[in-house]
Amino acid sequence: MSGHGFLLAAYVPGSSLVHRAPLWLKFLLVVGCGMTSFLIADWAVSAAMLVLLCGLFLLSGAGPARLFRAVRPVLPVLVAIGLFQWWQLGAPTAARIVLNVLVCVVAASILTATTPVQALLDGVASLARPFRRFGADPERFALTIAIMLRSIPFVAGAYTDVRDSARARGLERNPRALVLPVFISTVAFARQTGEALAARGLGEPEDPED
Amino acid sequence: MTQTHRPAAARTPRRRDRWNATDLGLIAVFAALVAASALIAAIPVGGLGVPITLQTLAVMLTGLALGPGRAFAAVGLYLLLGFAGLPIFSGGRSGLGVLAGPSAGYIIGFLLAATAVGWLTVVVLKWTANRTGKLRAILLFAAAMVSSIIFIHGLGILGMMVNAKLDFSKAFLADLAFYPGDIIKNVLAVSIALALHKAFPDLLLRRIRTVDTRP
Amino acid sequence: MSIIVLDRVSVRVPVDGRPAPKTLLQELSLDLTERRIGVIGANGSGKSTLLRLLNGLVAPSDGTVRVDGADTVRAVREVRRRVGFVFTDPLSQLVMPTGREDVELSLRRSIRNAPERRAHAESVLERFGLLPLADQSIYELSGGERQLLALAAVLAVNPEVLVLDEPSTLLDLRNRELLRRTLAGLRQQVILSTHDLELALDMDRVLVVDAGKVVFDGEPAAAVARYRALSAAALEHAVPEQPWREQA
Repeated sequence: MSGHGFLLAAYVPGSSLVHRAPLWLKFLLVVGCGMTSFLIADWAVSAAMLVLLCGLFLLSGAGPARLFRAVRPVLPVLVAIGLFQWWQLGAPTAARIVLNVLVCVVAASILTATTPVQALLDGVASLARPFRRFGADPERFALTIAIMLRSIPFVAGAYTDVRDSARARGLERNPRALVLPVFISTVAFARQTGEALAARGLGEPEDPED
Repeated sequence: MTQTHRPAAARTPRRRDRWNATDLGLIAVFAALVAASALIAAIPVGGLGVPITLQTLAVMLTGLALGPGRAFAAVGLYLLLGFAGLPIFSGGRSGLGVLAGPSAGYIIGFLLAATAVGWLTVVVLKWTANRTGKLRAILLFAAAMVSSIIFIHGLGILGMMVNAKLDFSKAFLADLAFYPGDIIKNVLAVSIALALHKAFPDLLLRRIRTVDTRP
Repeated sequence: MSIIVLDRVSVRVPVDGRPAPKTLLQELSLDLTERRIGVIGANGSGKSTLLRLLNGLVAPSDGTVRVDGADTVRAVREVRRRVGFVFTDPLSQLVMPTGREDVELSLRRSIRNAPERRAHAESVLERFGLLPLADQSIYELSGGERQLLALAAVLAVNPEVLVLDEPSTLLDLRNRELLRRTLAGLRQQVILSTHDLELALDMDRVLVVDAGKVVFDGEPAAAVARYRALSAAALEHAVPEQPWREQA
């Protein structure tokens, strides 16, 4: 399986300014960039923001290769969307849409490249703490998010692996044969993960024992 | 069922039926599945460029495989992280901004459709407990179609009317472009779900039966 | 040393479309007190189910399993604190992207304070010689390094008993040797299943499992001999058919 760093840059240890920035500020950056598609109407502003964020990413010392690896999975889709919107709505709008997506991807990668998952877990758990009175369990909630983030590369990898093996068996024209193994291995992976968590005493509900 | 066999859960009744670690694993991985399928091969379709992906397949399958509660949690987690800024909506978009876009209705529709089809799946599986085969598949397909028409297409049209200022007939026509793909995807989702329940009988089937046999 | 007691334990699972459930383990009564215990047997004989009973991953349909008096169903939390479990495939066990983070995850329950947790994780990685690899992606590690990391993550919380499900199956010769040495040096009680007869011979006591029953319990050398005889007999039964021959 080869998907590590897919979509979100993996954590790179370091002590740069970005690494030392408080977690809430980085969270805010990501949430803020998510709002850009609302607020920014000019492609030039989006482009400037993208340059700024790329600079911030490189300042962390994670390197351009890692940045490219995080952006690569969305590139084919972005090219398709960009061309289509260019045809439909004109170049400036198409550029703005594509740039805004890149802004979001890079912003999320700045967070994940400079924050260890454990610190993210602590952050999410403390954000979820006020919901405890409604029966939420912040630790389990944070753990579920961590498992989800870890599983995206696995699922994406399963899609490519299965495509290859279907090709090897000459089944590429049968859609069920093409996707069924993805889902079977995904469910098996989910259950192994659950079992491994349980065995380590993680993720089980905190029931009073009798 | 023989009287001698009773799973551990039934022997030591819990006050509340809470999710265990395996449930958390399933919720997290299905949320990842919905996210990954939004990013793989998205093709913009129709006048507004709402992209077509394997995502509706993944969403419906989540309901068909996990039942209402865990499906709601899985799709809800996906939406939550997308709104928080993770680029996992179709085409790598993210943030609350999508709620202002033309596909807002579809994104909200996913959550309700997955929950609805999950609920209907439990009903159908109970109903056809002793009759497997064609009837079960047909009823599940009907459940998936009803859920996706009401929630995904219904809210999708509403979203285009509100956010893209289309009148009903234009929005309806724009939405129509998704129907052929959705019918194929629902057929596929049902056949995959049945295979999953065969491969992992305790994924949902055995749970339902455990509840039934409880005194 | 811990005392694990199985009292008339059976495990059955329902099979869809059939009225009778399938029996995985039948009326097993055992006292596991030795320092090194091996479980050998064919694929599907019930080895894995037996090991999973020991930390509550599988609950008995009948009978009880107790670890130092704690029931694996009623006091599963206490049991899992005492019994660490290592899976065959470390990739399904390691949850976090890097070794350091995975060890820290193990410690989340026991150490609430983040800097303290980090320091402790560091010392665990140091002990296993994994510190240089601590920040690498688990996918970039070799199979042997991954297995060692899985072991370290489980031992980080200092369990009394270590249960390993076929720990050497995915390892090459050199890493198998490394695993044997690591296991030999542990203070913990070790209970493992294996197809690796050399590893089985390192144990103090070996159980041979066949079709859900313990058919031999005792000296490693005698157990391995018994297992060889069983496998030979099973093959003898299978040979006359040889369906693949006919097509050739």
